[in-house]
Amino acid sequence: MLVEQELIERARSGDADAFNQIVLAYRKRILGTISRHIGRPEDVEDVAQEVFVRLYYSLDQLRTAEVFEPWLYRLTVNASYDYLRRARRRNESRMADLSEQQVMIADSLAGGKQEQDEKQKGQVREFMNALFRHVSEEDRLLLTLKEVEGLSLKELEQVYKVNENALKVRLFRARQRVLKAYNAAVADGKL
Amino acid sequence: MNVDDPKLDRLFQLYGKCCPEVEPSANFMPVIWQRIEARRSFSLTFQRVARALATISVGLGLLLAGLNMAGAKRGIIAPTYADALAADHTVEKTYYTEAIRPIPPTDSIFAEYK
Repeated sequence: MLVEQELIERARSGDADAFNQIVLAYRKRILGTISRHIGRPEDVEDVAQEVFVRLYYSLDQLRTAEVFEPWLYRLTVNASYDYLRRARRRNESRMADLSEQQVMIADSLAGGKQEQDEKQKGQVREFMNALFRHVSEEDRLLLTLKEVEGLSLKELEQVYKVNENALKVRLFRARQRVLKAYNAAVADGKL
Repeated sequence: MNVDDPKLDRLFQLYGKCCPEVEPSANFMPVIWQRIEARRSFSLTFQRVARALATISVGLGLLLAGLNMAGAKRGIIAPTYADALAADHTVEKTYYTEAIRPIPPTDSIFAEYK
């Protein structure tokens, strides 16, 4: 945990300073998690702020400070789902997001090693986004929480409130689809 | 196809490293508190309106109950149909009617027509 349990207890009892410290400790991690799921960089901060507002109003429902992190991840997952649902309703496709990213990458390319690194990183992200298009948004979220952010199955169990076996099946299927897409991309010479 | 393929794990790790760190803007915290306050004031307004409506409905209920009781004491409350029937069916108002029996024509009256 990034903060002491005592700090969480203080925030639960309504201490605004304690709540501020929690936000300061977790904001980068939450922004990172959301940015991997949401294509539009301009909306990432908005969703992260919504997560912390929900946290503020739901702290009194937290059973113990020990389950704080899964709780925060659950709020993050739910806020991301809500955003994606709204985005789907607005008929925004990920293709539009990708093109925006590509524009940003293209803008940043002006020569030099740092720019070269950025370009490579952009290509990796683009490639992974293409692979993730073979799974649902929900499975993409689950996969990144497990494989990229390194959450254990026990932690995911608390986040999703489903048993470990169900999660294993979902993860297995999602990995299978991504691997199939990866092999197809390798065979096509896209990698 | 081996789903536990280590190249997939390596790819995920590489992806994690390639994702840029998102820096929060200077307004990050103030906006959070603005939203918290906005939601709090909305819920307070909602509570006030709900409380006012509850008070009004209780007041109206008490007023109607009071009027009902006062009306019952003065007897101005409109009776039910059964009550009205019962009240109307008193001994004084009861009168009997006999079936009209036609009187057979007597000779004295109709004699001349015969």
